[in-house]
Amino acid sequence: MITTNKIPPSTHPYADVIHRLEAGGSMLPDTPENLMQIIGIYKAYAVPMDFYWRDLLYIAEQVFLEPVPFFKYFLSQEYLDRQNHYSGDEADLRIWRGTGSAHPELLEFMNKGETFKSSKLFHHLFHDRINMEFAEACMRAMLWHGRDMGMGQFDAYLDSEEYIANADRAITAYFKGNPVMLGLYKLFPEMFLEKVRELSYYSNLGLFWEVMAPVFFEMSDIYDEGGFKGVPDAMNFLVNGIFAIAGRPIYHHAYINGECFEIIPKSKGFTWLYEAALPYVEAVFYRTAPFRGTKSYNAQAKQVPDEQHDFHYGILYADVFPVGTAGIPPTLLMDDMYHFLPQYLKDYYKEHCRGEDDELIQLGITFQRSMYNVTSAVIQALRTALLYPLDDENPNHLQKNREFFEAQMDRFLRPEARLKDIQTADYR
Amino acid sequence: MLSLLLIIPLLGIGLLNLCPQQFSRNIAAVTILSTFSISTWLLFGLDLSNPELQFTEFLPWLEILGLNYNVGVDGLSLPLIVLNGFLTLVAIYSIGENNNRPRLYHSLILFVNSGIAGALMASNLLLFFLFYELELIPFYLLIAIWGGKKKGYASTKFLIYTAISGLFVLGAFLGMTWLSESPTFDLENLTLSNLDLDTKIILLTVLLIGFGIKIPLVPLHTWLPDAYVEANCAVTVLLGGVFAKLGTYGLIRFGLQLFPEAWQSVAPVLAIIGTVSVMYGSLAAISQRDLKRMVAYSSIGHMGYILVATAAGTELSVLGAVAQMISHSLILALLFHLVGIIERKVGTRDLDVLNGLMNPVRGMPLTSSLLILAGMASAGIPGLIGFISEFMVFQGSFSRFPIPTLLCIIASGLTAVYFVILLNRTCFGRLNNDLAYYPKVILSEKIPAIALTLTIIFFGLQPSFLTRWIEPTTTQFVATMEMQTIALEAEQPFISN
Amino acid sequence: MPSIVEIAVNTEGFSTLVAAVTAAGLVETLAGDTEFTVFAPTDEAFANLPPGTVQTLVQNPPQLARILCYHVVAGKLTKDDLVKLKEVKSVEGSPITISGEDGFEVKNATVVAADIEADNGIIHVLDRVILMG
Repeated sequence: MITTNKIPPSTHPYADVIHRLEAGGSMLPDTPENLMQIIGIYKAYAVPMDFYWRDLLYIAEQVFLEPVPFFKYFLSQEYLDRQNHYSGDEADLRIWRGTGSAHPELLEFMNKGETFKSSKLFHHLFHDRINMEFAEACMRAMLWHGRDMGMGQFDAYLDSEEYIANADRAITAYFKGNPVMLGLYKLFPEMFLEKVRELSYYSNLGLFWEVMAPVFFEMSDIYDEGGFKGVPDAMNFLVNGIFAIAGRPIYHHAYINGECFEIIPKSKGFTWLYEAALPYVEAVFYRTAPFRGTKSYNAQAKQVPDEQHDFHYGILYADVFPVGTAGIPPTLLMDDMYHFLPQYLKDYYKEHCRGEDDELIQLGITFQRSMYNVTSAVIQALRTALLYPLDDENPNHLQKNREFFEAQMDRFLRPEARLKDIQTADYR
Repeated sequence: MLSLLLIIPLLGIGLLNLCPQQFSRNIAAVTILSTFSISTWLLFGLDLSNPELQFTEFLPWLEILGLNYNVGVDGLSLPLIVLNGFLTLVAIYSIGENNNRPRLYHSLILFVNSGIAGALMASNLLLFFLFYELELIPFYLLIAIWGGKKKGYASTKFLIYTAISGLFVLGAFLGMTWLSESPTFDLENLTLSNLDLDTKIILLTVLLIGFGIKIPLVPLHTWLPDAYVEANCAVTVLLGGVFAKLGTYGLIRFGLQLFPEAWQSVAPVLAIIGTVSVMYGSLAAISQRDLKRMVAYSSIGHMGYILVATAAGTELSVLGAVAQMISHSLILALLFHLVGIIERKVGTRDLDVLNGLMNPVRGMPLTSSLLILAGMASAGIPGLIGFISEFMVFQGSFSRFPIPTLLCIIASGLTAVYFVILLNRTCFGRLNNDLAYYPKVILSEKIPAIALTLTIIFFGLQPSFLTRWIEPTTTQFVATMEMQTIALEAEQPFISN
Repeated sequence: MPSIVEIAVNTEGFSTLVAAVTAAGLVETLAGDTEFTVFAPTDEAFANLPPGTVQTLVQNPPQLARILCYHVVAGKLTKDDLVKLKEVKSVEGSPITISGEDGFEVKNATVVAADIEADNGIIHVLDRVILMG
């Protein structure tokens, strides 16, 4: 607690959390139970995420504007074998260990499912599969909030002449020899453009998660080897990961008849940190939109904010209890993670609440805890990038850090925020 | 054969008190299952072409007093005996896992079962009265030991009211037997035709007050909300499901059957009292804040239908009255069983606190879904048993008492009102994140609810399975009544209304 | 006078910067006639970045160029000019805040050597790599 000696203690309602952050900690209290939970859930999240990113890129690059994309969740072998750019033996830059192609647990699940070994089509129709709908919901949150957030240069670029020209070339090439679609394109060019913009976000999110999946896998491996001593270690691993990969390019390439169309070329200089990670955290962790089927909101009664930036329906604010309601994105995600829980986490859930019966909600709350840790990593990374070290000698610098942390905590002052809940172990 | 239904539960009591207490529940269940099977078997052995009492047994007992062990069943009592077994099974499983005196509880439940079966099959007035009074002791104990906060008050009130009810019934029975100079209290020896109408009306009124407390009818109902609410839900299932039905059973068996012509005279008053009960019950239910109290008041309302239908005395209405007795018992049992589960898991019955129980994982999805179904059944949604019986009641009574019937139909609309309030408060909305760490509903709690639900749906879709047993007997009652009334009218044409 | 690039190449402690500028293909721009103000992080500043950061950037020249452009402002601005302006727009597009209150500070970096004149601009040496946002 170097900081508190040099500047007076914070008077913020979340002063405890702020002091912990200033001491290099996480918003999530450092207990072995929390560490075990978050690492376990990272592992369970990484496996479906390995599918998400592959399929997101598959849709953005291959399915493209297919008018009836029934088979968009049927990932091709090529994309299953596709090497991760930052892990595996064939990586461009091997930052993380782990496999380059799809994770073995994922392949096993895709093969067998919950039910039994069967055709892809059966598993798809029986909904015995990875719920890509969740990934698409995240993508849509980024697309919808992108304009309003104004973060990075990605969303602004989608409106530029250059982008429209690139998209136009791809659209005409894709529907070459299809007068109906080309005619429609002539009539409603904006609709087609908007679809391409959406696909650009598919690519954006896919490239973002391509990095996160191996990070989470490696964290699980390190934990299994006894590597992490506490929650701050896990957070710092994420902070380092964010910096290591910050400069990875974000782009959108579409492959039409074997030809590569650079809708957003790498040369635009879009980076993982500014164009993907930060908008993702803002759009998905903080904002999103109310999920259908969980609660009724009355906009006239101001139950939904007027301004998009006041939206607060992300995982950091989420009411996890409606998980289990059919078809809503939170249920889809929890269900995906449910298949890949490590044994120690399963045993842990059995001892609490309704045991196996409400595992879906228990793991949802664990997920919420783990995402508070990820958000802490983002906050610490931003502090590192834009402000001062925690052990800075200059009190003015420490005061600036303090103001930054307090501003971040202000976002959790609204009653829906779960920051207070995750401070205790009773919230499960 | 019928005596087995009385003896087996008593043997069961002996056995479960000899065995370790963790077996009490299973012993009780097996005992009731066997009597339930016997009664069901008897039901299929019932000769439907014969409206008289069947499977009769006779054993002289205290002949000087005219008390004989004289039992028999017909289409009126046997379905109720089967129902008695069914609901006793529900009560055995409805008490929950944390019963710290299982031996006593299950002994009392078995005792209740035996006693109610005895009252339903007794064809001797004094024997009926004995069983009728005998019930009070186990019920008093069940309310007083397993009850809620005000159990002492509620159980004493219950005891005083029902004991007075017994006095009125006994008074009427003695009067009936002595004034008609009948040698015994046996039903078949009793002919009241030699009494004059005024005497009959007086006797019938005394009898009606006696049974009216038991049913209960407004304004004799005040013991009911306290007893139903303070008693454990498992006990309430029996209280409302079978115990209160002894009142309506007595009304039909000893009122309608024995006083056909006097019945015609008091019927308009009865219809009004019934309608008042229906309206009062429904309106009082709407204003309740307590889940259980709301269901208790709804019960007063639904018992009122039975009275209106019995008063009307047409073939269809009496059949409807008996069907409504069974339908009300099943629905009430389901409602109280589910309310009991909710109370046990959530720890409150306050409608202002309850919320979001439909939540799929942390709530009680099955319990709330069945609660919705029970509410629908109670409100008379077609396809469920409540619709069938209420429809028969309304259809049968309308020709005789159009205005009371119309008011009853309006009240059945009010049923939907308070059930919508109830369901909206308990099942829908957002589950409270801070409190919603409820224990899960276990299988032994789900099974009775599912069994009741299936029965409610089955009879709703296939009502003839319900009415075929009852119809010959009720038709016979009505035919006798009409015959005697016509005979009477021939003598005294000015009497009829 | 030597150009910005020549100064950087000939001064000790800027080898990472020079390598990065070369990798990003910005040598010609910074050696040309247009005048720039360059905030030049020292080798130590680059070394203070978490591991892997520079490596990923070097593999992706456009992304690297973008970070470097954030350290460049059009025109020739001395310390006094900058402190007066309080905020300048970088070539990358994002603003850079300047403070003179606590020494000469550029965003969260401190200027260790100010006003090094070059033929086509001016160099201020930073103790930290500055980042957009």
